[in-house]
Amino acid sequence: MTETTQAPIEPSGAVQLDPVLDAMVESMIVIDEQGLIERINKATTDMFGYTTEELVGQSIGLLMTGPDKSHHVDYLERYRKTGKKRIIGKGREVQAQRKDGTKFPADIAVGEVRSGKLIRFVGLIRDLTEHRQVEEQALRQREEMVNVSRLSMMGEMAAAMAHELNQPLTAIANYAAASIRLLKQNKDSHEDILGALEEIVSQTHRAGEVIRRTRNFTKSGEAINEGTSLKKIAAQIRSLAELDTKANNIRLNWNILDDLPPINVNSVQIQQVILNLIRNAVDAMQDTPPDKRIITVRAKLTAPQQIRLEVRDEGSGVSENAAKDIFNTFFTTKTTGMGMGLAICRTIVRTHGGELGFHNNNRYTSSEGATFFFTIPTQVNR
Amino acid sequence: MSVEKSRVFIVDDDDAVRDSLCLLFKTVDIEAIGFESGDKFLLEFDADWQGCIILDIRMPGTSGLEVQKLLSERDCTLPIIFITGHGDVPMAVEAMQLGAFDFIQKPFRDQELMDRVAEALSSNEENKEEVLQKRHVTERYATLTPRETEVMQCVVKGQANKVIALDLEVSQRTVEIHRARVMEKMAARSLAALVRMSLLLEN
Repeated sequence: MTETTQAPIEPSGAVQLDPVLDAMVESMIVIDEQGLIERINKATTDMFGYTTEELVGQSIGLLMTGPDKSHHVDYLERYRKTGKKRIIGKGREVQAQRKDGTKFPADIAVGEVRSGKLIRFVGLIRDLTEHRQVEEQALRQREEMVNVSRLSMMGEMAAAMAHELNQPLTAIANYAAASIRLLKQNKDSHEDILGALEEIVSQTHRAGEVIRRTRNFTKSGEAINEGTSLKKIAAQIRSLAELDTKANNIRLNWNILDDLPPINVNSVQIQQVILNLIRNAVDAMQDTPPDKRIITVRAKLTAPQQIRLEVRDEGSGVSENAAKDIFNTFFTTKTTGMGMGLAICRTIVRTHGGELGFHNNNRYTSSEGATFFFTIPTQVNR
Repeated sequence: MSVEKSRVFIVDDDDAVRDSLCLLFKTVDIEAIGFESGDKFLLEFDADWQGCIILDIRMPGTSGLEVQKLLSERDCTLPIIFITGHGDVPMAVEAMQLGAFDFIQKPFRDQELMDRVAEALSSNEENKEEVLQKRHVTERYATLTPRETEVMQCVVKGQANKVIALDLEVSQRTVEIHRARVMEKMAARSLAALVRMSLLLEN
């Protein structure tokens, strides 16, 4: 066994506390009513780079920086006068400062210790640097994931777009080829050629329209769009969704109310969520008979400050087994899926302060399809 | 059997694609008729039609593959050329396995399509000959008496008159008479012709 701190037992039977306090990872500081440091543990000297002698008798403000420096002393003053607890008993995040001037984020929890008339405060300080780094890394990874999934979805959309572009291109090629044949034949086919040329012009515009429709989606956007409308955001991807549904013989019902209150969202991300839910609905209906292939997109106000958008399919529903893991990354029931879609959707919806959920259309069976929905707080709420 | 004129039946939900194909066939004096959906085509379809079908594989409502299946249930023998888009190859393969004549990917060269259609039309012509012939042979076969039918079945197996006589327990002379009748009724000029006819009947 290696060296262990042995807490000597005092005659009263109580454990002598100093070695225990020095073994703590968190910094512990005892201050008096004026905010002057009375005692510290070893972790405090390690964390801040001061010696015990340098700290005892100094104001607690010495260890803080920025507004926190003076605030702490003010809090104590106010508590003494009014008895109003501002930070006592709860944790708070502050900017701490070491002896060498470097700053770091720290969490401080302050408790009150009364012995007779004497009031002291004990503060526990935890260095949040590492915690922050982990958080930031997770955030970066999440952003990357969102980008990857957007790219893969754009790949699928590109396939649908290619199909849609093929129609006018085929027609243009046919009209042009027919015109050439007619001209070579040197017969009186003036009418036919004129008609064909006019059609070529209009089919070219049709192809241009297909490209224009996708432009909004491919524009990269990171920023939050203040006071935008869900109807508008959804309308921008409607034709994209229709490419997908049409290619799969599915009717797409669209019912988003006009008078929904404005929302503050990252439009591209919310569009991605909607498209993803529609994509899943399409996939769920591969074995649905053609006359039952319907997807309904609906949005309405479900609480005074909450909009709910739902995507209902008539597909294979969510089995009890799948329901448990459905939002987990890398869980998928599809043969070609990566299991990223719903996990990312949930992340996006949650960062917007909403929730993503689902239910089978018939609670007793999954065979009547499922409805996936998400909520978004309206502007006033944020 | 009434002899129908050869035509190209175009089934595509896209107005511009359908219309432009009709114009293209007009330039080579092939009559083409457009149908905007599989259902419309199935509604009007007549088993006597001659020519070939150009069928879009992806359509709202009844899909191209489903139209193909329904047509084959109705004994349609018209060759089908599928038009497929980007990424439809697996579907096209399925269509070929189900007996499609060919498939062609959008957008295509007009000459390529014309060549395939020409092949499909001549295949339909040959097919038409065979269908006609089979119909005639079947009609003639129905006029044979039960005994003559028995004799014909033995003859096309290559059995000699002597063997047939023993099998059917009749005289060799009787077999000869029946055999002459069969040749006459079936309008077969030789034994080889009779064998060919029996093969047609088996199919």
